[in-house]
Amino acid sequence: MSAVITGVGVVSAFGVGAAPFFAGLRAGASAVGPIRHFDASSLPVQVAGEVPLKDADLHPSRDRKVMFAALAAQEAWADAGCGEAERSAALHLGLGLELGLLDDLTELLDAQGRLDFARDRDEPRVRLRTPVDLSAREIKKQLGLRGGTVVNVSACSAAALAIAEAAASIARGDADVVLCGGADSMVNPLGLGGLERLGAPSPRGAADACRPFDRRRDGLVVGEGAALFVLESAERARGRGARVYGQLLGWGSSQDGYRVTAPRPDGSAAARAMRQALRRAGVAPAAVGYINAHGTGTVQGDPAEAAAIRLVFGEAADALPVSSIKGAVGHLMAAAGAIELAACLLAFTDDILPGTAHHQELDPGCPLRVLGAPQRARIDVALSNSFGFGGQNACLAIGRAS
Amino acid sequence: MSMKLPCVAVHGWAFHTPLGSDPERVLGRLLAGERAAASCPLFDAQSHPCVLAAAIPQPPQPSRRRKFLGRMGLYAVEVGIAALEHARQRVPQLAMLPSVRLGLFFGYGGLRAPWDELMLAMAEQAADLSLSWERGLRQLHPFFMLQQLSNNAHALCAEEVRAQGEGVTLAGPSAGAQALASASAALAAGAVDAALCVAYDSLIAPEVLIEQGLRGSLTRARTAAELRAPYDREAAGAVPGEAAAALLLMSDAAAEPLAWLQAADGAQAMRQVRSAAQVIDGAAQAVVAADREELQALGAGTRLTATLGSFGQVGAAAPLVQTIAVATALRRGELPPIAGLAADRAVCEAAVTAATRTSARAALCLSVGGAVAVEIGGASHV
Repeated sequence: MSAVITGVGVVSAFGVGAAPFFAGLRAGASAVGPIRHFDASSLPVQVAGEVPLKDADLHPSRDRKVMFAALAAQEAWADAGCGEAERSAALHLGLGLELGLLDDLTELLDAQGRLDFARDRDEPRVRLRTPVDLSAREIKKQLGLRGGTVVNVSACSAAALAIAEAAASIARGDADVVLCGGADSMVNPLGLGGLERLGAPSPRGAADACRPFDRRRDGLVVGEGAALFVLESAERARGRGARVYGQLLGWGSSQDGYRVTAPRPDGSAAARAMRQALRRAGVAPAAVGYINAHGTGTVQGDPAEAAAIRLVFGEAADALPVSSIKGAVGHLMAAAGAIELAACLLAFTDDILPGTAHHQELDPGCPLRVLGAPQRARIDVALSNSFGFGGQNACLAIGRAS
Repeated sequence: MSMKLPCVAVHGWAFHTPLGSDPERVLGRLLAGERAAASCPLFDAQSHPCVLAAAIPQPPQPSRRRKFLGRMGLYAVEVGIAALEHARQRVPQLAMLPSVRLGLFFGYGGLRAPWDELMLAMAEQAADLSLSWERGLRQLHPFFMLQQLSNNAHALCAEEVRAQGEGVTLAGPSAGAQALASASAALAAGAVDAALCVAYDSLIAPEVLIEQGLRGSLTRARTAAELRAPYDREAAGAVPGEAAAALLLMSDAAAEPLAWLQAADGAQAMRQVRSAAQVIDGAAQAVVAADREELQALGAGTRLTATLGSFGQVGAAAPLVQTIAVATALRRGELPPIAGLAADRAVCEAAVTAATRTSARAALCLSVGGAVAVEIGGASHV
């Protein structure tokens, strides 16, 4: 039983909604820019793929991840035309688990820097443990969902794996409808400060700082946002006359089992995830018309991914279009696999392959056909790669609606 | 066992619990009716609503992993390695298993704030967050973000055991049961030949003691002697605990398995895995309404025990901890009592209040996050 996508919701640096996201990708634009929602002037890195929220978008929860998840869920649900008949839907989310926002922390610390709060409060409001439950609870409350919840926190592959499990549950017949995707934000002082101390972001601090597969790449740009999808069986979608964006044909996952801080350089483990996705999809490598790469713009990550792609596609990789949207919206971390799946849908809805913002000169160490600008093409199968910290790899195979 | 859920064989296990790390010795303490609850040993909790806790007594082993992982993550990697080694001793074929056929499935409750380090970065912050870098964030350890990363224990464990097959990291109170279910599904689909499933969680954190203490789900007893047991007519909250546990699962009996299991999470879990269980290891929430509601799962002749009453509430780790404890008890033919529960105070007659000989071979382990059906010997699923 194949799973099809019948609803899409996106929150990105291009704005709230799928429409501005798709418009930005169509235009080959970049939405990375100076951080505006807090004073980042003292941080070494002051640019990000920051979501431009309007007052109307604001949610009582100040946690941006929760806001993004809720907004994207509402859009996907409405887009799919879901109603009472779908309220038994399960929820599969890929989320980041960083600590609460810095302003929450300051609120909870007294002058002596001691944890000494809440004892006298009537209703404890402690949000330090993790917002995992907050996002899921909020979505379920807003949409009246009654199904189970699974929260995947497999770092940068979390959303892709959440979507894969959602598709698997439909294929197994365990679920009829699943709302799935991911949300994340590290665009806050603690998130950016922690990443900066780790040395992950590009040190240049410019809007074009993230340059995937480029000879001059020197690190990632942090992004934030969410993408959620309504998945249902093809039969069910057909039966209710739903619009189908694309099919989840297959998925694969693997682990590097190599080093915590670096990807396996030969790409062999990542290649296994891609092959597994193709196998599950019943699709030969030659049928793939586009790869949306993980493409973080880091010195080590991009060549390892290029090696993985070449292991799977051999010399055919010379002609296979590959791009990364991280130059345009930043690295959405746990939500990356979700927003990149949304980007792949453009290939089926508009016959447009997204480009790689800020990519100018191909690194010979990444021998791929990297699309700088968006390209018109009609393809039937796309792959979306998500390769997470510590070597958790995921790949989704997506097909044109039949 | 249920026909729909995959049934998998347990070939290796390991855990760190508040009652120890050796399953046989832990069972001995359970049979003796011991409870791990004591005045919180990890920090001063005397001003918090809940002051008791059941902590893992020994520190993690010295390790190079310490720079990447917090205390619970270190325990998780230790039990993952130990469970795989345990299985390799019992199933020689595992030594030949290609690393690409070994999957790794992690579940944990969620992050806890690393207060000691955060204090250094936060103490001088301004209310408007201006100059946050100079005011403290630059003091964060370079590995701070790695230490907080959601899958760091998974990544370290994968590196140590060279697991290259499928893998996920799940979070939330049901994550342990979900990791078991995910591993079982991967085995059933033939995606991996062996699945190492690891779950860890600690409820012993200041914010948890405050939040759940105020909600009434944790005990307000000031000493262990004042504690009411779960399934007591006047049960008044659980003891926060912590644990890490790992199971090595395979889809078939390559050797005689330690046990068979089926796992499910969520509200439907009990119904999904409900079977001819002769024993129920209850969720032991020690909240009268919740305890009574749960007892509806009891069938005629089913005995009720509550290992979590002795371990404390161990969050997402519960399904794996219970599997090891209960399977060990069934294999030995002895049921542990609900520690501290007097027969005349129990909410049901089925409650085990003293160590009891048993010929039971199947049990149902319930926890806040899910349910696991455990069976020893020739499983009825085949």
